[in-house]
Amino acid sequence: MPTAKKTAAAQALAEFSDFNLKMARGQQMLQRLKDEDIQIATADKEVVFRQDKVTLYRYQATAKPSLKVPVLVAYGQIGRYTMTDLQEDRSMLRNLLALGVDVYAVDWGNPTRSDRWLTFEDYVDGYLNECVEFICHEHGLPAINLLGICEGGVFSLCYAALYPDRIKNLILTITPVDFHQDQAEGRANHGLLNLWTRGLGADDIGRLIDANGNLPGELMSYVFAQMTPGATLSKYNVGLLDTFDDEKKLLNFLRMEKWIADRPHHPGEAAKQLLVNLYKNNELVRGEFQLAGRTVDLADIKVPVLNVFAKDDHIIPPKTTQALRAAVGTRDYTEIGLDGGHVGVFVSGKSQGILGKGIHDWLRKRD
Amino acid sequence: MSEKSDTSDTGSTWAAAWATSQQALMQAMFPVQPGVPGVMDTQGALQEQFADLQDTWQESIGKWTELVQQGPKAAAITPEALRELFSPARWSGTGTGSFDAGLRHVLEGPKYALLVDMDRKLLALKQLASQRDKDLAAFHAIMLKAWSAAFERFSSSVASTAAEAPATWRGMADRWLTVLNDTLIEVQRSDAFVEAQRKMLRSASDHRLQEQKIAEAWCEAFHVPTRTEMDEMQRTVTELRRQLRALQRAGRPQPAVNHATATPPTKRLGTKKPRASVRS
Repeated sequence: MPTAKKTAAAQALAEFSDFNLKMARGQQMLQRLKDEDIQIATADKEVVFRQDKVTLYRYQATAKPSLKVPVLVAYGQIGRYTMTDLQEDRSMLRNLLALGVDVYAVDWGNPTRSDRWLTFEDYVDGYLNECVEFICHEHGLPAINLLGICEGGVFSLCYAALYPDRIKNLILTITPVDFHQDQAEGRANHGLLNLWTRGLGADDIGRLIDANGNLPGELMSYVFAQMTPGATLSKYNVGLLDTFDDEKKLLNFLRMEKWIADRPHHPGEAAKQLLVNLYKNNELVRGEFQLAGRTVDLADIKVPVLNVFAKDDHIIPPKTTQALRAAVGTRDYTEIGLDGGHVGVFVSGKSQGILGKGIHDWLRKRD
Repeated sequence: MSEKSDTSDTGSTWAAAWATSQQALMQAMFPVQPGVPGVMDTQGALQEQFADLQDTWQESIGKWTELVQQGPKAAAITPEALRELFSPARWSGTGTGSFDAGLRHVLEGPKYALLVDMDRKLLALKQLASQRDKDLAAFHAIMLKAWSAAFERFSSSVASTAAEAPATWRGMADRWLTVLNDTLIEVQRSDAFVEAQRKMLRSASDHRLQEQKIAEAWCEAFHVPTRTEMDEMQRTVTELRRQLRALQRAGRPQPAVNHATATPPTKRLGTKKPRASVRS
């Protein structure tokens, strides 16, 4: 009997029955699942370089090489690089490997209070530079392709501006550049992080870091959860229930949760630079950001630049990253705007065929 | 016996002792010498002067006595204390007077008795906890108002669009979540919300730093390195690592150029150990 023709009471009963069936099915699935079923970042890789807590991985090739120059992927400190290889069918890294790209990725590790004094200089001049030097040395190359993600994109911009000879092509994904353009499109759900940070005084941020040593991962999780209140509130009830139809959906959900839960603390001094110098004072796009006494001038970036952004990115609103076009010193600047949100660029089913191919095709023309 | 009357008695005793000793002093200074020729004429005048002087002196002593009896610190100015003030023995011991409290601290280190100061620290902590709770309550009040507003919007949306009103619990849930989401985002962009979050974060940080201060006081008493000392040490280590990296970089040969190859990782890396730096 079609639902429309049921009486209200019968409809309610049918709905109640469906609900219970779904719950029972979900319970069965959860009982079957084990931790090894929800592993993330499982693409084959080898440790090729280590320094302090930083690890450089080289990924196992899965196709005939199509580019001469390898790509180094640099994530930020707000989340972990494992998002780039969430699962087999949702993995930017695997997509690049399948297209014949030689891929390296840097893992910044899990900072603790002992890392509170690490600064942007340590990441840019130190660790990232060491990784680039290592790859250049291993391949006998003067320069490599650098792919930065989110805050890792900011590291990459700084590196490309300060070490232009070491970068052949620069790729940025969901990377903030002009931190004050968060409301350029007037979308209320965009840029809460920008607003939140501007609402804090520099001394509030200083006290926060002094009290905790680092910028606590839990605090950032809280801020991110606030940005999408409806989704946050419904995630473990309505959202989880929706996955009980299909085990694959449930596994996707759990893997994503695993990544979200693994939010590292951000080293304190570097966090101050991120929140005060960049988010509050907007020094990067103003050409005022200083690293070890040198000014990061984005106009010094003269290599080809590919800037990938998400059209509905509430964390890095499009205009905050599109500001890069006017700031860099190259004419070879390309943008790819993808449907979806911040993390969706990497993990949504829709973006899988687009992101990796877009990057590969762009690089191939400039190899 | 109460502390007050104790103090008062001690003051009277001291005042009486002081008055007696001063009278004796005056008599010693101006002795009466009867039967000495030539002095009889002046004796009356002298006696009169002496009596006047004695009255004035006694009046002065009376005032001092009154003052001493009024003061709550009379116990500190006992005859014993006055005697000790001039006693060389008083200066020979270590750590026995306020003068050498600094020396005592250096020689003996912090004592458990000093932890009495913990009361003040704990009080400050309590005040900061109270401030934090107040800021948290202010934030919750804003959120509660937002939820109420969302519920009103949801109720009127369901009532006013009866034709499109959700027929299932899931439809209702989705409608509620949409309305709530939009309302909360709207509120999150308000100055009041941003300020409430700032205050909450600030008072939480202040409270945590006060906790650290208390923990560090205990650490010092029990010879345990403090958080601040550990932070300072770690800062030094970070700076040394920077210097080491710079030195290693300076001593490293530059990569050769123009040997661009796309080398599959399998062959080389299977046998090759990662080039780890000296630190792990």
